[in-house]
Amino acid sequence: MAHHQPREDSISTVSRSLYRQGLTDGLPVIPPTDERVGKMLRGTDKPRDHVLGRLGNDDSPITVEQLASNAVMAGCLPTSMPILEAGIRALADPSSNSIQFSVSTGGWAYQWVLNGSVLDDFGVAAGSGPFGRNTRVSRATARALGIAYRNTTKIYPGEKDMGVMANPLKFSLFLAENETTSPWEPYHVTHGFDEGESTITLGGPNSFIQWESGADSPEAILGGMIENTPPSMVGGEQQGGDFDQTILHVLSSEDLETLAEAGLTKRGVKEYVSENSYIPIEEFQKGVLWDDALDDYHGKVDSRQVPQISGPEYVKLVAGGRSESQSNVVIGPSIGGPVTKKIEFPDEWGSLVTEYAVEG
Amino acid sequence: MSNQTQKEQSLEEINRSLYKEGLTDGLPVIPPTDERVEEMLRGTDNPRDHVLGEIGNNDNPLTVEKLASNAVMAGCLPTYMPVLEAGVRALADPDSNSIQFSVSTGSWAYQWIVNGPVQDALDIESGSGAFGPSFHANQTIARALGIAYRNTAKIYPGEKDMGVMGNPAKFSFLAGENEDSSPWEPYHVTNGFDEEDSTISLAGPNSWVQWFPHENSAQDVLRGMIDNTPESMRASSGEDLNATITHFVNPYNAEELEKEDLSKEEIKEYIVENSYRKTDGTSNSMLDTDKVVPRQVRQYDDTDSINIVATGGAGRVNAIAGTSIGGPVTKKIEFPDEWDSLVEEYSVEREWVPTEGFYD
Amino acid sequence: MGLITPSSTGNDAEQKPLVPRVTSLEGKHIGLYDNGKPAAEPLLTAVQEKLAQRYPDATFEWYHVEHLNQIKSDDEQESVVDWAENVDIGIGAIGDCGSCTKFLAWGIELIEDAGTPGVGLIDEGFELDYQSNAVERGRPLRYKKTPVRCETTDLDRVREEVSNEVVDGIEEELTRSLNDKERAEQVAQ
Repeated sequence: MAHHQPREDSISTVSRSLYRQGLTDGLPVIPPTDERVGKMLRGTDKPRDHVLGRLGNDDSPITVEQLASNAVMAGCLPTSMPILEAGIRALADPSSNSIQFSVSTGGWAYQWVLNGSVLDDFGVAAGSGPFGRNTRVSRATARALGIAYRNTTKIYPGEKDMGVMANPLKFSLFLAENETTSPWEPYHVTHGFDEGESTITLGGPNSFIQWESGADSPEAILGGMIENTPPSMVGGEQQGGDFDQTILHVLSSEDLETLAEAGLTKRGVKEYVSENSYIPIEEFQKGVLWDDALDDYHGKVDSRQVPQISGPEYVKLVAGGRSESQSNVVIGPSIGGPVTKKIEFPDEWGSLVTEYAVEG
Repeated sequence: MSNQTQKEQSLEEINRSLYKEGLTDGLPVIPPTDERVEEMLRGTDNPRDHVLGEIGNNDNPLTVEKLASNAVMAGCLPTYMPVLEAGVRALADPDSNSIQFSVSTGSWAYQWIVNGPVQDALDIESGSGAFGPSFHANQTIARALGIAYRNTAKIYPGEKDMGVMGNPAKFSFLAGENEDSSPWEPYHVTNGFDEEDSTISLAGPNSWVQWFPHENSAQDVLRGMIDNTPESMRASSGEDLNATITHFVNPYNAEELEKEDLSKEEIKEYIVENSYRKTDGTSNSMLDTDKVVPRQVRQYDDTDSINIVATGGAGRVNAIAGTSIGGPVTKKIEFPDEWDSLVEEYSVEREWVPTEGFYD
Repeated sequence: MGLITPSSTGNDAEQKPLVPRVTSLEGKHIGLYDNGKPAAEPLLTAVQEKLAQRYPDATFEWYHVEHLNQIKSDDEQESVVDWAENVDIGIGAIGDCGSCTKFLAWGIELIEDAGTPGVGLIDEGFELDYQSNAVERGRPLRYKKTPVRCETTDLDRVREEVSNEVVDGIEEELTRSLNDKERAEQVAQ
């Protein structure tokens, strides 16, 4: 059979050539032509050469144009640009610790949480699961930020990215909070933003555990949150206070309601979880904390037990599924952030959203 | 889709309409033109209309041609066809229980493990970073099988796929077994295949935990395997529901187990015997009796419910994937006559490692 | 077809020379640089014991980075350079994970900045990682692979793993004269 000779600029040829250079995740990409990047830039009012942040070991700059090129490749629409720009600011924030979780053996994922009115603008507030409400937006956005980070910092798997297993969630862990049916204030409001603002939050966890509470009492739900947090997830201060290690719980609508009806606040849940997280000392993952985390409990005699989570500030809560269910998720431990950045929209946002509406 | 249509429509329009029809996962796809599907079919000696298996509630047939179309969309090379065909046979095997884990609220992922010489032929990664968004074959094969299943069974999220949370690893969970650095017989040999056979194995877990031992020793590795299995994961083999858990063990830790002369079977026995959990407090989900409640139950019922796979690169991180509610089923990969020349023709080299020439 | 590159234009690191090596370890004041990883101290302890046997006149001085990430701070970096100025050679450990291999390369670079020849001890699985971090810093920093694997902190076991071959290799990296590349001289292409 004659070998089919593809056009030089076909999507398959370009995808493979960019893959060879380490510029993609292996899946097909839309070739980032001048024309397409030009169109992507409609999503921002910033000039092409504006530096959004500096990333990686070398503080390599990432410009609006480069970000737009990655966004085209990943399959984003121009309306993703404001989210992506805020995401880059989160990655560039030293408190995100993004460089560490990008090179570490732990196989970390970039965990993104979206909040605010932007959820409606994108139609990501509708549909089922918070991890898959509008896959075109959530998958492409997480992917664009993942490849933009890699392409800017030039960190490759097995080279400087030493994840032993790596992570199938690495460029796809994107979560839209279910603000509408949650009994509590949204995540971004808890972290100091106005309800009317839209934000994106970055964390760096490596494990993802789904569990079904099947519970009819608040104690059983809280107990399940603790029981399903394996000892590999420790919550506390790291490296002499250089960063915090946190654990995120995504709770189902039904379980949230049960907790709220029992009079529990978000803060109350976090306090309960940390106060009841004591585990036998031999199960404590000493290796996670390099800075003698156990000292406070060591006298001349070893403690019998230590808290797996050393305070409510190391527990994060997000409202999950809208449907009637008791499926919950524990994600952690995040070894960076979480950092939350406000999403800034271009002047023509309203008309752009209408033009590029994505059917979920 | 005809070439004529493709010329009239831009890549963006094609992607958008395929997405709207529910035929993609939201990321860019390569349009499955006649020409490209034809090229993909070079990877098989089976005729186009050959039915590889029947899938979903209605036993919808999946032909070689339809599989090739999904393979084009996902970005596969023609050489991936033999792996995909075997993968479809796994999905169509009732023992895989794929229909249940495709529609269940538990948000399951398709977990694929590849064994044998096909790993080298196709550059399927089994070492450092294997599960990450980085390697062409790993990423596109998992995706092609995922969308082929969805497009054949016609199961859509929020419609018949009732996953509450959605699973960010659903179509991206594939790695090879690192047979070269493993001290044990390969997974497929344990399951009755010859060492020189190539196979693909399917399971359906919904959670993923990464962990590392306190100290690089056999004892700490075994303890960690048990301690870090969260309560929501329970393993028990059986005819009706084969609930299994897979442990991915990195080469360093596998070597420690080998130093203590522990066979895979002995490791499984250790786990079963040492996996008791007390039934007080929150472990109610593990009880299946309403008579006298035992004081403790085993989290791992029997050795058949445990799978051990050597995967990953340098470092101390291991992973636990579970609970799988289907399979695992393993299928032998059958190659076309012209296999060797095809492999030579289609290779995607990685050229991204930058140290060449810097050191001698 | 014009494509807009998605990658950074990169900061091409200026090629810098390594510090000339010493002729022998005899009677030297040897610096032991612990980058804050749990396996670093037992590994360097075993190396110190072996070297002390071979060179009874050699003396040793340690530097401990308390927490791995601390090396990012300017104060810590200055303090490493100050310390390294007062030793004749520097041996650092350990590169056995992503961040610690990178920070070990940084540490060895600081030792070289102080005018002292350095060598990093790495887990053999992290060779490419060490090399590429060195490339990024513009210097082919020297290293010795060891069979001591991540998180092995049992000193007796480490003593066994630090064989004569490992110690020979460390000496070799500290004494073998520099090649053209290491002197950062322009080599005709």
